[in-house]
Amino acid sequence: MPEANIVLKNCGVIDPARLDSYLAEGGFEALEKASGAMTPAEVVAEVKASGLRGRGGAGFPVGLKWGFTRQAPAEIKYVICNADEGEVGTFKDRYILEGDPFGLIEAMAIAGYAVGAGRGFIYLRAEYHFLKDKLAGAITQAKEKGLLGGFEIEIYEGAGAYVCGEEMALMESLEGKRGEVRYKPPFPPSRGLWGQPTVINNVETLMSIPRIIKNGAGWFTAIGTEKSKGSKVFSVSGDVGKPGVYELEMGSPLRELVEDLAQAQDTKAVQMGGATGRLLPGAMLDTSLDFENVLGAGSVIVYNSSRDMVDIVHRNLEFLAEESCGKCAPCREGTQLMVVVFKRILAGKAKERDIEFLKELATTMSLTSLCGLGQAAPSTLLDSLSHFEDAYRARMKDIAGAVT
Amino acid sequence: MAKPGKGTITVTINGSAAMGSEGMTLLELARQSGIEIPTLCHHEELSAIGSCRICVVEVEGARTLVASCHTPIAPGMVIQTHSEKVLAARRMITELLLASHPDSCLVCDKANRCQLRHVATDLEAAQPQVRGRKRCYPIEDVSPYIKRDLSKCVLCRRCVAACREMAGQNVLHMAYRGFNSKVVVDTDRPLDKEVCRDCDICVNVCPTGALSLVEESGSKKKGKPLFIKG
Ligand SMILES: Cc1cc2nc3c(=O)[nH]c(=O)nc-3n(C[C@H](O)[C@H](O)[C@H](O)COP(=O)(O)O)c2cc1C
Ligand code: SF4
Ligand code: FES
Repeated sequence: MPEANIVLKNCGVIDPARLDSYLAEGGFEALEKASGAMTPAEVVAEVKASGLRGRGGAGFPVGLKWGFTRQAPAEIKYVICNADEGEVGTFKDRYILEGDPFGLIEAMAIAGYAVGAGRGFIYLRAEYHFLKDKLAGAITQAKEKGLLGGFEIEIYEGAGAYVCGEEMALMESLEGKRGEVRYKPPFPPSRGLWGQPTVINNVETLMSIPRIIKNGAGWFTAIGTEKSKGSKVFSVSGDVGKPGVYELEMGSPLRELVEDLAQAQDTKAVQMGGATGRLLPGAMLDTSLDFENVLGAGSVIVYNSSRDMVDIVHRNLEFLAEESCGKCAPCREGTQLMVVVFKRILAGKAKERDIEFLKELATTMSLTSLCGLGQAAPSTLLDSLSHFEDAYRARMKDIAGAVT
Repeated sequence: MAKPGKGTITVTINGSAAMGSEGMTLLELARQSGIEIPTLCHHEELSAIGSCRICVVEVEGARTLVASCHTPIAPGMVIQTHSEKVLAARRMITELLLASHPDSCLVCDKANRCQLRHVATDLEAAQPQVRGRKRCYPIEDVSPYIKRDLSKCVLCRRCVAACREMAGQNVLHMAYRGFNSKVVVDTDRPLDKEVCRDCDICVNVCPTGALSLVEESGSKKKGKPLFIKG
């Protein structure tokens, strides 16, 4: 399949500093259509019919989320764009924010119209501070031209915590509190920011909205696979000839992305979806990229045969132990203990029961942690144990039989 | 049991039907039905915290286990409070808490009033299979009334909630992150007379020996007797 050009349509085409260049490409026509010719319920129905699912990692159906928020009885509602982009190895939202800020603003205004929210926030990753003025400039230009119809958009900068990309921690942070996860339910569509119904979507998710409204849900459902509609933007890094941002139709083979486009050779493993993602061996390059198989937030880190998988998993676990918010016991204690056990593996002192313990610990963390960080923290560990047992065996003497 | 009526919700808990009212948590319903679920961070007089995850139960159709202390009941829920999966998870979490806890139970003033020990005894959770890192902080006894021994803190956050909700103060906060999370006063300075009215509400809600009254040391060791299940 060739590279797709849906989400990134305007990147590199328009001048992100000038509203008129966005308008020349048909900008704000979707918002005009939505608010002029459609009722909010129709907009939600159209998004539902498109089958669009969240691109921030979890793949939740966007129309469903919007529908819940629309139906929640409240005067005040909010729209949040999750631009925290904290997942290890992702930089696609940054590319979008730099190249097409107006597209994001238009999408947020459509979301606001659909769910009945008058105010929106862009939660911007601290490291993307350099984008703040550009985004603010885009908002001002759109407002001055009266394009937003009273919808207010504010930019809020994060403080550098990975967990603040998690929607509940993000809202705590936006409210000015310590960036920590809240338990669910209640979910954001019923009680989100400041207790009000809130829609929160990833940057890339929102970027598909104006296209769907303009071209219709039928156009969108023709692209992709049965359960994954549209395209996906990937951030490819690691042992590749051409790292960068690529957009592909859902369902494309991983091999096309990694070998044909990014020009990887001698691939030993691919880490999909960052620190909490999956570790696929090179033999699985024919896996297709969609929610049915493997996707995550679109981070693709390629490792060639010179890399040691135990080292890689160790680094992931160290990262997660550092970034755990510390609220819930399984993640706070579990990530730490995993690192301790890994130190032992690296020192050649691990025993068979250490590996058994890691597996039991992984099960408990996945089943009981409060948020996705702790729940998915063991996933690269478990993948490495099933696909790269040799790497562990090389580090230990009596591991035989422990690794399955 | 509540009579069926408006706002009444029927669920199945450990194979039997049970009725509760809207807004009730799984934990409340279980207790009403005479089923005991262990808890650590939950406190009846405080709003739900959800930090310890000891109270998890299995709900049919849920991707993960759910914490019973803050999850409201919903019509038709099928709940298992003591399945093997649930018990294994509770036991592992307890082991994790013990792994970073000092091995000083024998000489600890909290002795058999310690809720962590109750939970561990009840679950037959032993010392962790793997040695981890201990949490180590110097004992804080600047205040003439309240002694803080944060090496024994299980980070349940009851004291933080109690100070805010019951005492109407905001003396205690969380600081740092992950394993290094810590209940602090102000910008992590010792608890002293300046900031704390020593109402000792926090001491009363602490499940472990992390918070105690200075005068109390050694004088009060009454509590539930510990027993070992055969
Ligand atoms: C630890 C953690 C970090 C996350 N970081 C991000 C992030 O940086 N950006 C993002 O869009 N979603 C992130 N998410 C997912 C959000 O919680 C949430 O699912 C998403 O913003 C919903 O938007 P979507 O449905 O459009 O994907 C993270 C989740 C977890 C558990
Ligand atoms: S899983 Fe980790 S990051 Fe998420 S709430 Fe628990 S401690 Fe915090
Ligand atoms: S008692 Fe429910 S999470 Fe702690």
